[in-house]
Amino acid sequence: MTFTTVTPPPARPTQTSATSGSVSRRTVVQANMRAEWTKLRTIRSTVWTLSITIAVMIGLGVLFTALEAARWDKRSIRDIATFDPLLYSFAGINLAQMSIGVLGILVMTSEYTSGLITETLTATPQRRLLLVAKVATFTGVITIVGLFSCFAAFLAGQAVLGHDHGGVSLTDPGVLRAVLGAALFLVMIGVIAIGIGAAIRRTAGAVAALFAVLLVLPGLVMLLPSPWDDQVTKYLPGAAGEAMAAVTKFPNLLGPLAGFIVMCMYTVAALVIGGLALTNRDA
Amino acid sequence: MNDNELTPPGSRSSAPDRQRAITIEASNLSKRYGSVQAVDNLSFTVSAGQVTGFLGPNGSGKSTTMRMIVGLDAPTSGTVTVAGRPYQDTRFPLRTVGALLDANAGHPGRSASNHLTWLADSNQIDRSRVAEVLAIVGLTDVGSRRVGAFSLGMKQRLGIAATLLGDPDVLIFDEPINGLDPEGIVWVRKLLRSLATEGRTVLVSSHLMSEMAMTADHLIVIGRGRLLATGSVADFIDRSSTHHIRALTPDPATLGDLLRAHGATVSSVGPEELSIKDMTCREVGILAASAALTLYELSPQSSLEEAFMEVTHEQGDFRTTAHDFASATP
Repeated sequence: MTFTTVTPPPARPTQTSATSGSVSRRTVVQANMRAEWTKLRTIRSTVWTLSITIAVMIGLGVLFTALEAARWDKRSIRDIATFDPLLYSFAGINLAQMSIGVLGILVMTSEYTSGLITETLTATPQRRLLLVAKVATFTGVITIVGLFSCFAAFLAGQAVLGHDHGGVSLTDPGVLRAVLGAALFLVMIGVIAIGIGAAIRRTAGAVAALFAVLLVLPGLVMLLPSPWDDQVTKYLPGAAGEAMAAVTKFPNLLGPLAGFIVMCMYTVAALVIGGLALTNRDA
Repeated sequence: MNDNELTPPGSRSSAPDRQRAITIEASNLSKRYGSVQAVDNLSFTVSAGQVTGFLGPNGSGKSTTMRMIVGLDAPTSGTVTVAGRPYQDTRFPLRTVGALLDANAGHPGRSASNHLTWLADSNQIDRSRVAEVLAIVGLTDVGSRRVGAFSLGMKQRLGIAATLLGDPDVLIFDEPINGLDPEGIVWVRKLLRSLATEGRTVLVSSHLMSEMAMTADHLIVIGRGRLLATGSVADFIDRSSTHHIRALTPDPATLGDLLRAHGATVSSVGPEELSIKDMTCREVGILAASAALTLYELSPQSSLEEAFMEVTHEQGDFRTTAHDFASATP
């Protein structure tokens, strides 16, 4: 490495121009969306995590629809009653929500663990606008990934099932809505994860909190005395997501619209808590 | 108030400074973390066109103060403004203020130029500046390397590059020479000086008093979060009781008597060496010439460290561990 001597920047350009006042909030958000996109695409883990999400969605969808097709004639009455062709296509969604969730958490916590937050907040002290830009950018990325992986998992899974084994097509009633619902569920999990990351700031703690909500909580709720177990389970994010992604109407699930509204409430709550932690706590 | 303090805390700085534009202004700034009073009713101003050294031992509240200046931490009470407004109210602040607060900040997996690219994007600074600032700090050849593989010195350079991105009028550096090799230290010194010469405001913190003596024009000295002294570096050293002149002469006895007769305090240090106080080098030179005495060397001896210790010592309730250790040793 050669050390050049100081070459001071050429004569001071009088910079009265674009400081505060003339810069709108919208411009700040746009600039930060571009910055956040640069941040996302220049870290390898982003690309890896999103690739894994897509692979898991398609791979597990194909695997489970194939298993179901293979034992099609040997299914019990109960199996037949609870069969939903989309839920088999979306067998990977439980894992995909984890990978997208962890990535969402890292959007915030990697800033804190690497010390990058110092520079991020020095560059953009308007923390609320920063959070808006982060959420918008990440939402954009995972919307593409969510849509791609859900449609791919749907098409691959239904191709495996075929018409003989209960396969459906996008033009069948409720199917397009369910595929979009699955993608939307993944996107919302990612946004909730940003909120959790902003609130907790440590990767390990935030991942533990996300896993507790998505994996541990359903197990605990199952232990509640009946009918509380089923009544509460409906409103947990996992079940709400299932309701969004199913075409069959199950008695123990909310309807798709109700599931979506419940997920919206989780998303808003996570963003508000994360946003308050970001704006009210030091650095 | 003791006479080592050039201006008592809270009052405005000395006459020459008044002509310079004040760009950072802290008034009654306090920060408490639980039971720890990190910054205690601190008021000071920083002016454009000079290097202001922010001096204090480790843990004296320098970093906390700098974090409050750029809005990372909220003051418990008091206010601080940069370029006339609270930093938090500045949109695209990198165009006005460049701050290096933590050289280790930066995702280890991202390359240096990508790191600067997102920073530029966030404030709509032209991406062409990335290559320019990498060249200024001498990191052009390693711009595509991951930051995680950088030495602390290279990270400092990258941090300095980041502060220059928006060509700002105000620059804030927290301990910028940590981890730099001697060549790097000289380079930073020159850079800070040239930035100030261009009319920019340069605030640089350090716990190394000697470094500040070589870099800064003006000093803000704090200890335990409190303002201990402000003033020019030259005044700070001059007022110090440890400030003295070293003279080497073949005839120390004659020179010593002559200087004493003119009011100086003189002590013999070595066979040919005198330590002189209460007189300037100019006066010593003129007197020696008038008596046709030979001088091999005539130099002001000052230690900003010792001047600093004096100020902090006078503060009574403020002691550095090093000081206690020194006083316990015979």
